[in-house]
Amino acid sequence: MWQWFHKWGSPKWFYDLSGRWLPWLIAGMAVFLTVGVVWALLYVPPDYQQGYTSRILVVHVAVAGTSLAFFPIMAIAGTVTLVWKMKMADMVAKAVASLGAWFSAITLATGSIWGSVMWGTWWEWTDSRLTSMLFQFFLLISVISLRSALNDSETAARACALLSIVGCINVVVIKYSVEWWNTLHQPASALSASSGSVNGIEFWLPTLIMVIAMYLFVAVSVMMGTRNEILQREGRSKWVQDLVKEG
Amino acid sequence: MTESETEIIMGERGISTFEAFRATLKRDLLVAFKGRNELLNPLMFFFIVVSLFPIGITPDREVLTEIAVGVLWVSALLASLLSLDNLYRSDYEDGSLELLLLSPHSLYFMTLAKILSHWLVSGLPLVLLSPLLGYMLALPTEAYWTMIVTLLLGTPILSLLGSIGVALTVSLGSRGLILAMIILPMSVPILIAGTLAVGSVMDGNPVGGHIAIMGAMLAVAASLAPLASAAALRISVN
Repeated sequence: MWQWFHKWGSPKWFYDLSGRWLPWLIAGMAVFLTVGVVWALLYVPPDYQQGYTSRILVVHVAVAGTSLAFFPIMAIAGTVTLVWKMKMADMVAKAVASLGAWFSAITLATGSIWGSVMWGTWWEWTDSRLTSMLFQFFLLISVISLRSALNDSETAARACALLSIVGCINVVVIKYSVEWWNTLHQPASALSASSGSVNGIEFWLPTLIMVIAMYLFVAVSVMMGTRNEILQREGRSKWVQDLVKEG
Repeated sequence: MTESETEIIMGERGISTFEAFRATLKRDLLVAFKGRNELLNPLMFFFIVVSLFPIGITPDREVLTEIAVGVLWVSALLASLLSLDNLYRSDYEDGSLELLLLSPHSLYFMTLAKILSHWLVSGLPLVLLSPLLGYMLALPTEAYWTMIVTLLLGTPILSLLGSIGVALTVSLGSRGLILAMIILPMSVPILIAGTLAVGSVMDGNPVGGHIAIMGAMLAVAASLAPLASAAALRISVN
């Protein structure tokens, strides 16, 4: 078990392994993404309340569901960085952070587009999901900018690890406090419940496919980002130089 | 730094953690009171920011009553953010922070002492000034006590949470903006709890639950934030 764990700490081992996995992951992602997007945007039957707008939801739900995973991943990677001082964990965390910010932004964008049709507004503070996603986006940005501000990569790794752990706890607290705020501040309006009307199999099956496609996409992007990071940081090691010479 | 100051921080061999805590607190308060003008700055900043809102929005008393709590909380948040900048800064520059890290006592209590002294010189005066500003913003009379109590519970949480961000960025040259980006989103739950409590008293609802939740937040923050802050200091100061 521990030997397996330590293998993950070796950049070379990760580079070789991910090189072998990536073609399969990319192929799987291509299949799921094509099927999911085509099904979602062209063949999902119109909802009796929402009409064709519900097709946006298939994409939105998949992206939103995935974007909730980023802070926990970063917190776990951060813990590994702080406890075992594993460089690989930090490289993964760096790749995850920027991807997480993109996913949060896309979640907000697709949600707004759907909301503009269904709720008649692009932004609605009374919906706690919008508000807490916005603050998750802010916190991810703060992790990214802290990393870019710190020059020393060792310090940056540990500082970002700590901030990710604190941020992960904070996102949960923010989520609950925003919900609490909405239930007490302004009575929750009917719009919060309106996404519950689409739940037949013709809706959730493409959603499931999209969710799998998104997770594959995240895996592929994180692996590619991490490989890129490995090459940059390990540029002085022999195996990277051999790799470059081979072309 | 003079020798006596070093002695205050480091202590002689064998002093208890409580004594070290008190010494750090005393030393920080002394340093703060030496620069009396700087002591007033967060307070004046708070005053100025609050007075911008009626000018920027409307002098209409009804509208002001509606927004008063939010304005006070956001201004307190900003004032605390700006004053936090100096929590570890001067100690980092003159090297006494390194001595603090080297001291044999638990860094948890040392950071707690620094945060407490920061709150005493910048948070507490703000709470004391808030009734006056509340009056200027036409806050209804029944809301005063709730506002004071929530600010009293909330401003230490701001200092505690903020200290993590300050510790992470203490080695950076220019960090005003990045500090704001780290601290401000984290403070949202406190902002929500504080405004909800005062809002509920203005609606004539019981307020005990809100205050209890803020107390719980303070308890959690006081036990965990100095730990994170201490860890962040160890990361930043190599």
